[in-house]
Amino acid sequence: MTVKALGPYNFPPADRQELFGDDMLVHVNWDGNLLFCAAACFRAPKAMTWGDFKAQMVDPWAAGDPDYDPSRTKDWRLGDVPFEPDPNKTLAEMGVRHKAVIKFRD
Amino acid sequence: MTKLSMKERYHLLTRDLDWTPTYVAPEEVYPHSRYEGIKIHDWGAWEDPFRLTVDAYCKYQAEKDKKLYAVIDSFAQGQGHLGLSDASYVNAVKLFIQGVSPLEYQAHRHFGYLARHLDGAGARFASLCQSLDEIRHAQTQIHTISNYNKHYAGMHDWQKMHQRVWYLSVPKSYFDDALSAGPFEFMTAISFSFEYLLTNLLFVPFMSGASFNGDLATMTFGFSAQSDESRHMTLGLEVIKFMLEQDEGNVPIVQDWIDKWFWRGYRLTTLVAAMMDYFLPKKVMSWKEAFELYFEEQMLGGLFPDLAYYGINPPRHVAQAQAEKEYVSHQVYWILYQYTHAAAFNTTIPSDEAMAWLTESYPTTFDRYYKPLWDKAKAIEAGGGRFYNMALPQLCQVCQIPMGFTEPGDPGQICFRQSEYEGELYNFCSDGCQWIFDREPEKYVQAWLPVHQIYQGNCGGATIPDVLAWYGIAEGDNLDYAVSTDKTSWDEWHAKGGN
Repeated sequence: MTVKALGPYNFPPADRQELFGDDMLVHVNWDGNLLFCAAACFRAPKAMTWGDFKAQMVDPWAAGDPDYDPSRTKDWRLGDVPFEPDPNKTLAEMGVRHKAVIKFRD
Repeated sequence: MTKLSMKERYHLLTRDLDWTPTYVAPEEVYPHSRYEGIKIHDWGAWEDPFRLTVDAYCKYQAEKDKKLYAVIDSFAQGQGHLGLSDASYVNAVKLFIQGVSPLEYQAHRHFGYLARHLDGAGARFASLCQSLDEIRHAQTQIHTISNYNKHYAGMHDWQKMHQRVWYLSVPKSYFDDALSAGPFEFMTAISFSFEYLLTNLLFVPFMSGASFNGDLATMTFGFSAQSDESRHMTLGLEVIKFMLEQDEGNVPIVQDWIDKWFWRGYRLTTLVAAMMDYFLPKKVMSWKEAFELYFEEQMLGGLFPDLAYYGINPPRHVAQAQAEKEYVSHQVYWILYQYTHAAAFNTTIPSDEAMAWLTESYPTTFDRYYKPLWDKAKAIEAGGGRFYNMALPQLCQVCQIPMGFTEPGDPGQICFRQSEYEGELYNFCSDGCQWIFDREPEKYVQAWLPVHQIYQGNCGGATIPDVLAWYGIAEGDNLDYAVSTDKTSWDEWHAKGGN
């Protein structure tokens, strides 16, 4: 189904990838921990390595929970597909897309 | 001249002033009333709940206004705010002026548009009266609450906040969605869903909350609006029945709109759920009880069996809303609590007494899922901190609430739904919001999501102070109630020997 309108109805998405240039939005959820009410949303360069992304963005946020231990993160998934993090690969190389959701457990 | 009956006056002064255009086709005069696919064969069949003429309308409303302004003036002069149950109650008033009053104004504008664009004289006149009601409601609310603004934080820039602040994008986007639809969908969204289906969940909690917590002023504007609201309810039902009776082909269109606007409206009421269970120092009833009474009994038990006659089913996704009554208020307040550094109200950890009430009101969920979170927040406070979430949250593309809702059947697991449209990903909090997006993706790709706008640099800057300044949130508006200016002032006003 499409929008019923009086005239042509075609408007660009307000948060499309091109507006973020070489960056993108990436969501990260700590599954099974409701302390953080929702997944976090980060703006990260596509060329950022996984190691940097985790150390500079995920760890400082997750450390808001005093029980967080950065070495105990596991069971990583992109959407619902499991992946093995490689600290040297970039987000783009790992297949992370604009507005994708990454999940982990501890 | 003999005196005319009310009915004759109404007929002469409203419907009899209508005429059929002959120089141009009706569809040129009323270009907006056909493209949605709703077929109307006889506008004369419209039963007008506003059997009033403009002069009678003005006379009634002037009387009500006089009474209301007398009460609010006396409340202000007698420092009535000092008699509230507690200053933390005012957070409910803040949510109202920031989130609800601007909607009254938008409703005023859009009913004015309908008063021009509907073909039938009865429907146009009903819209005109409702447009006038809505501006009166906006004005009385602003006037009443302006008294609180003299003494409490968070109410000085509500118009700007409504346009900009993240949690206020929830009610704003609901209305924007309706305003940008056609006239019949707007009436389904606002007159039916907002003013009929969910009205008792949206407004009664605020007004009963006012009454239980010593807020005579807010209670009085509630009463002053009550007779208008019952007319609006009647109009909401009339709109639906009119469409259903005019043409069988309208039934599936109306069903789709009921499905959409039930879920949109229900998601909006979850903010009220958090207000009821957590903001009010003296509780009226729990969200769960309110949902059972005002929605399950009155609507699912009363309204929908009547609508079944027309071939209308209860809203799609209603079962999810029913399941969520056990926990949704806790999830939403937990969101508000951890983002209070970016909000124009104060939250705090519930007192032991409030916690006991929550346990009792939600026996199957509170102690299992939410009390442990509060225990952790308490432990963080005991260590000298306060739990604030320092990352921006993922937002739902449709309802725009941070994605803190859980999977059907599992309150322990956050719910994620995702659709791809023209090469971009979109995320949703629920099957209901995803279904709404998938029906009209071209519409919702335009959503102004506060988090994504902050990251594009459109909200004043990159730091929290930059964004708060752009929001119009000043020192004292945000943070925990324990350190709020409201609490400090309240304690001073009530200190022994204080003045």
